[in-house]
Amino acid sequence: MNEEKPKLCKETYFNAFYLEHAQSASNFAFYKCGDKMSALDLVQEAFTKIWENCSKIDFNKAKTYLFTTVNNLFLNTVKHNKVVMEYAKTVPYVDTNNQNPEYLLEEEEFKQKLQKAISILTDVQREVFLLNRIEGKKYREIAEMLDISQKAVEKRMSGALKILREKIENI
Amino acid sequence: MKEEKNILKWFNNELSEKEVEDLKQSEDFDTLKKIAHYSSFMQAPKIDVEQALLDFKNKHAVKKEVKVRKLNFQTIYRVAAIVILMLSVSYFVFFNNNVSINTDLAQTKTFSLPDESEVILNAASTLHYNKKKWKTSRDLELDGEAFFKVSKGQKFTVHTDVGSVQVLGTQFNVKERDNYFEVQCYEGLVGVTYNNTKVKLSKGKTFRIINGDIKEIEDFNKLSPSWIDSESSFTEVPLSQVIQELERQYQIKITIDNDVDTAKLFTGTFTHNDKNIALQSVTVPLKLSYEIDRNNVTFYNYDGTK
Repeated sequence: MNEEKPKLCKETYFNAFYLEHAQSASNFAFYKCGDKMSALDLVQEAFTKIWENCSKIDFNKAKTYLFTTVNNLFLNTVKHNKVVMEYAKTVPYVDTNNQNPEYLLEEEEFKQKLQKAISILTDVQREVFLLNRIEGKKYREIAEMLDISQKAVEKRMSGALKILREKIENI
Repeated sequence: MKEEKNILKWFNNELSEKEVEDLKQSEDFDTLKKIAHYSSFMQAPKIDVEQALLDFKNKHAVKKEVKVRKLNFQTIYRVAAIVILMLSVSYFVFFNNNVSINTDLAQTKTFSLPDESEVILNAASTLHYNKKKWKTSRDLELDGEAFFKVSKGQKFTVHTDVGSVQVLGTQFNVKERDNYFEVQCYEGLVGVTYNNTKVKLSKGKTFRIINGDIKEIEDFNKLSPSWIDSESSFTEVPLSQVIQELERQYQIKITIDNDVDTAKLFTGTFTHNDKNIALQSVTVPLKLSYEIDRNNVTFYNYDGTK
């Protein structure tokens, strides 16, 4: 039984694992550090740890291990940029039918406010909020990824929403 | 509070439509909706995963070759074996407590044991003892003939293939040759163990076994065995034993004519200093004659013709 389990030490498995999770790990790192190059460095370093310890890591737990490692590595690095999230090139407005210039301007303004507000969030709040919003992950999945309880995820999310609402209305 | 829970649920797509309608009544629902909507259109920078993997591989190409080498226990065992071997060899070389003393043909040796007991070893004999254990047990192994002057102390034991001799402090001679075992007591009391029987010898007594038979021997009246004074004396000893002693003392090979009876008993003495006199003193009383051809001597019945 044990031998049939995919082993990370086997190069083909490792490569597949890498290709599957590199992007989401990079996103996750970016939510924290806000810098593309640093995010990629964190990811590469985390994969290095996995590669070095491949025999000790259970394949099913590898994903959690990856994100926890990125998280830990991030905490160890002093460098910390302001996280400014970019919008996709084309963002549909909430009311797609409303072409009123005044409305469009208002919405653009809101988008900027949101961008600013997100950069004010704490690291843990931001990562939970963005994992939920951008990657569409359920709280349970996030909890699993970060190796924390779902309650903790909800608490962070709720804190994030509270700050966002306050900031947007005040800005 | 309830509203907050519902908002969380809504963000997690767990809210029913009816509950969403309720939520819409709250004052800042509009803001929330915009937050939810626009934030989902944000994005982290895309990375080229294929390229990243390639970079990763290049970086670790060197590291990968550093394989963890398992401890080779076979090598360890080998090294351990060598070390143990060397230790034990050096132990035996440097701390060898087994003392062994040999004499060649026609040679005697006099020496002292650690307790100053004296040993005189006759020709072609070997004596072993352990120097370290000597204090607790005075044990010796003898193959041949030796005279002991034992100083008083613990039990002093001489082991031979045939039997063992125990004394406390005395002088005695042990002779252990082929088919021949003889203990003579010159002073004090000697205990002889032979085939589980114990015999006590007082001064002047002899215990002799020839071919497994115990022989009765008359008392003697000497202070030390004659061989110490370069003589061998015999009292009713078969000719074969006398011949062996001659061979040992003179480094010669004696052959015997078929019609000579080697079981004949010999009583007498031969010197260790002159071969011809010695041979004569053995052959004449037994009415024998001999011929010498370098180291070979032949014994034959004297018939008066030669």
